Amino acid sequence: MTTPAEVAAALAAALGREAAPGEVRALQRLTGGATKQTWSFDWVSGARHEPLILQQTPVASAPCPSLSETRPLRAPKLSAEQDAALMVIARAGGVPAPVVRLVLAPGDGLGPAYVTERVDGETLGRRIVEHADFATARPLMARQCGEILAHIHHLPTTGLPFLATLSPQDELAVYGGLLAQFEMRHPALEYALRWVRQNLPTRWEPRVVHSDFRTGNLIVGADGVRCVLDWEIARVGDPMQDLGVLCMRTWRFGGAGEVGGFGSRDELYAAYERTAGIPVDPQRVRFWEAFSNLKWAISCVRRGLAQPADGAPASVELCAVGRRLEEPLWDFFSLIACAHA
Amino acid sequence: MSTRIPPTDVLMRAATDYLERELLPTLQGYHRFQTRVSINVLRTAMRELQLGAGFDATEHARLIALLGHRCDEPDPVLALNDELAAAIASGRLGLDAPGLVDHLRQTLADALAIDNPKWIARDPR
Repeated sequence: MTTPAEVAAALAAALGREAAPGEVRALQRLTGGATKQTWSFDWVSGARHEPLILQQTPVASAPCPSLSETRPLRAPKLSAEQDAALMVIARAGGVPAPVVRLVLAPGDGLGPAYVTERVDGETLGRRIVEHADFATARPLMARQCGEILAHIHHLPTTGLPFLATLSPQDELAVYGGLLAQFEMRHPALEYALRWVRQNLPTRWEPRVVHSDFRTGNLIVGADGVRCVLDWEIARVGDPMQDLGVLCMRTWRFGGAGEVGGFGSRDELYAAYERTAGIPVDPQRVRFWEAFSNLKWAISCVRRGLAQPADGAPASVELCAVGRRLEEPLWDFFSLIACAHA
Repeated sequence: MSTRIPPTDVLMRAATDYLERELLPTLQGYHRFQTRVSINVLRTAMRELQLGAGFDATEHARLIALLGHRCDEPDPVLALNDELAAAIASGRLGLDAPGLVDHLRQTLADALAIDNPKWIARDPR
């Protein structure tokens, strides 16, 4: 399914089947999303006029070879159906996740995909942290993020049997395993892996974690955070990891403020503790920020060395991301110097 | 220094300047983004041409000091880096080994001077 006309026809058939027939208008493919396709469109049926989003996800890849003796471990990646189920439960738990309108069936011809309501706002990180349009939003966002993360971390795991539970040790096994698939030895990466191994948290309480909660994956308007996107690598793990990811310098997009390029840790932590009733452990947040920098460095290696089947280099975009390897590693060493000081 | 005329850096600069000054302003959307990325990649390659050999030489000297021996391999910096990485991974070299973190940070700083010079300049720490 590639052409916009085919996508529009398949969407009209699927949406029309569940209620009244209608028409797909203003279909356009949105930029962004290296691994999935996102389309924006309007659904017009009788007097109803709904702004919607179609999210197509690639078919899940096969699990990587077992990295653990007791069970196969892989980087979590939800199917479209699981992703949608999680967003429904998140919304019920007070989290501003997208409102799921329809999960597409295999017969719909759009592959694994779902339709959500479209939320107005900005997702581009640089604009959110710099542009005057968001000057009123930025001072609100650290508190909002603290509250939203608190709600995510209180979601019931009972309705989410498909979420993998990853202990800190599991996280290291999974992401270290991804790096081990490459024939490269990099002293700074090895140092970071060993540091993480020696500093793994021993006490943590399993919670639903989004694990990619950061500027760039939030829809922001003048009133602040309106919607949390990109749930497909959610898992059950140490909740402090979500706070660490949000503070990574990579996802500040050059903005001031250690939280997402817009806010302060004090505001984030205070709002989180007030809402969650879970105390923030700043040391453990720093650990996860450091570890998340290592994970991003490993992602850079994987993208930079990704090869199409014909042996050609990856796209210029992927090659360029490969050369970003040193950014998170530089930040990693800054963070652990801080931790030891 | 190459005897070829014009030298490699001039060829790359001419191509990059064309992409940036003439082609880029005519583009939008997908191709504008891809061309911007291509220009950045070419600028990275030019910085590597200019700075890479000097960084490799100082890194080589630091690796010899850290590991305590020279290396006869055809690519000694690569071979010594393999050895260093293995020593760190196995724990033979501890995380607090004298000079280790300073060496790794300097190597990252040199690489960033090629790949993204703004990253350290804008480090708030």
